[in-house]
Amino acid sequence: MASSEEERVPATNSAPSEVAVLPQKEEGDSTAQSSGKKKPSPLEKGGTLRGEAAEGKDPSPAALGKKSSAVSGEKFEDPRWKNGNWDMTKFVKNGKMDWDAVIDAEVLRRKWLEENPEASSNDDPVLFDTATVPWWAWVRRFHLPEAELLNGRAAMVGFFAAYLIDSLTGVGLVDQTNSFFGKLLLLITVVGILLVRKNEDLETIKTLVKESTFYDKQWQATWKDSEEQQKK
Amino acid sequence: MASALQGILSTPSARRVCEQSLEQGAGNAGNRLQSCQISVRSSHLSSAACLSGRSKLFLAASTPSLTRNSRPGLRILAAAGSKKLGNRKLRVAVIGGGPAGGCAAETLAKNGIETFLIERKMDNAKPCGGAIPLCMVGEFDLPLDIIDRKVTKMKMISPSNVAVDVGKTLNENEYIGMVRREVLDSYLRERAASFGANLVNGLFLRMEMPSDANAPYVLHYNLYKPGSSVGVPATLEVDAVIGADGANSRVAKDIDAGDYDYAIAFQERIKIPDDKMVYYENLAEMYVGDDVSPDFYGWVFPKCDHVAVGTGTVINKPAIKKYQVATRHRARDKIAGGKIIRVEAHPIPEHPRPRRVRDRVALVGDAAGYVTKCSGEGIYFAAKSGRMCAEAIVEGSEKGVRMINEADLRSYLQKWDTKYWPTYKVLDILQKVFYRSNPAREAFVELCADEYVQKMTFDSYLYKTVVPGNPLDDIKLAVNTIGSLIRANALRKEARKAVLT
Repeated sequence: MASSEEERVPATNSAPSEVAVLPQKEEGDSTAQSSGKKKPSPLEKGGTLRGEAAEGKDPSPAALGKKSSAVSGEKFEDPRWKNGNWDMTKFVKNGKMDWDAVIDAEVLRRKWLEENPEASSNDDPVLFDTATVPWWAWVRRFHLPEAELLNGRAAMVGFFAAYLIDSLTGVGLVDQTNSFFGKLLLLITVVGILLVRKNEDLETIKTLVKESTFYDKQWQATWKDSEEQQKK
Repeated sequence: MASALQGILSTPSARRVCEQSLEQGAGNAGNRLQSCQISVRSSHLSSAACLSGRSKLFLAASTPSLTRNSRPGLRILAAAGSKKLGNRKLRVAVIGGGPAGGCAAETLAKNGIETFLIERKMDNAKPCGGAIPLCMVGEFDLPLDIIDRKVTKMKMISPSNVAVDVGKTLNENEYIGMVRREVLDSYLRERAASFGANLVNGLFLRMEMPSDANAPYVLHYNLYKPGSSVGVPATLEVDAVIGADGANSRVAKDIDAGDYDYAIAFQERIKIPDDKMVYYENLAEMYVGDDVSPDFYGWVFPKCDHVAVGTGTVINKPAIKKYQVATRHRARDKIAGGKIIRVEAHPIPEHPRPRRVRDRVALVGDAAGYVTKCSGEGIYFAAKSGRMCAEAIVEGSEKGVRMINEADLRSYLQKWDTKYWPTYKVLDILQKVFYRSNPAREAFVELCADEYVQKMTFDSYLYKTVVPGNPLDDIKLAVNTIGSLIRANALRKEARKAVLT
């Protein structure tokens, strides 16, 4: 596939404005049906996915071609972004550091860059490290609201379960928690809520388990072969 | 450090073409020996068969499931009557003259086995990143003038252009060697020839399977005489074949080795102005991001007098040119004013083929699929697997005196899987965790700023051992990893709600 071409690498933003069009799923299927068995080209096999899955997990608008990635010449600009870092002095509110504002600003910067990828430059390097925002600011902003939600759900479910068991078996709340079986069920419930927070999480866990063992299966395929031969 | 500057399309190195007239070795008829197989599981013998004549016991301790909790099962495959070859040596053909083929042929020839190395293009410049680890120079006795550049610094660039310098922990003697494939490959081939391997300039077409355990493989190939570009059909009879013919291996097809997933790696060689070239003097760059690749990375690697800018992907191969444009855009300022002098692409396997060995044919290198995930490194593993397979053949044939069988080649697979499985698995986990999405890549780059991470990474890359490291530092690293991932994902989730003004 080697061919020599002579082409000037564009020094300015004169790169092609069209992004490559991805083959649509329907097109591929229909041509296969119409022309009978069409042998897939090397670009279409060997792990190539189709449609949405082909873009990877969590693609950005630039990757999807919704925004032309190479054309926009605007760089990210913000009065508080100086020399590749956030100017922390600009985030002081009422004499105290406003970490939430720093997080908001970084969110906007990353969102901008996902939609308009910029060239990386040596004269203007990006130096911001998210670790400069202290851990408790992250906990307060992201973990606590979700923890509140989950604890609330757990409390509601727990109360209802305790009431139900009491009405069915006559065992009160104190006696329920004293029994080993009760403690076991409590543990399972707590762990279950931590892992499965939404219905989608079940699918995610199944996919993760499959993913984590897939590579092993590929490597051991050669040994399964020998085992089968041994059995013959 | 750098050898004389030459363009990619450099003059070919010397070719050696040998013609063989082949005849069946005399003295093959003779003892008809029964071969039987004794299968032993744990400690009891399931069955035993009779033996006549000479016998040889092969102990293949196999661990079918390579997890820590499995108990190794002892499997003894006894091929009784692996006959002595009489007055000739074992003949082995190595198809493909890259690092895998060259190293395999060298080891075979050094140990007295009659070796034929069949390569279709003696001056082939295979599209390749060209990075070799430090241990390869020592293990394979490579002369230092093969290495064009010694890369001692790397820059990892995240989707939001956070750039991290990697390489602070290297000492003066440690580097990543950048080589030109045509130079490396021809050096290894010539060295194999100097030990007695027969270099054959030919294009392998197909092979005929043997009729029984002692019959030869008949290889059909097109022989290229010097100066002629037209191939003359020729055949070659050998006792064993090593398939080292790369990702599109024909040997693999002939033995029904099965398919694998592969990435398409696309690369443009760009000649940039000298002042920009100074920046890449001994620095390589890695760009990560959805725009550059959904499951791999884009790179700028320095070559002898130009840079190679490329990217790759498994899941979205038809859009590879779009990713290449994005990679060039990300490196735009640093390669501005450059001229593209060559465009090339090649598949990179993602995992081993389902069947790597069949009868007396074994696959090595890219043909077997020995490319790591995450970094896509293949040269060292190709050379090492070629050497290991050849060593197994030498051992099994007692330096070319006896015929070999599948058990000998399986022992090479056994050794290989046991030795390098941890490396491959760790890199697979890294790829799955850190090339997942943009937040994961941001976390990856953040982590690479840590010195402990850099030290561990380079130690395991340069010396190919999974180094355990200090447990306290490991725990700290684990905590930092989780922290980075959580922060990056949290920012991404917020970004969905945010609206750009």
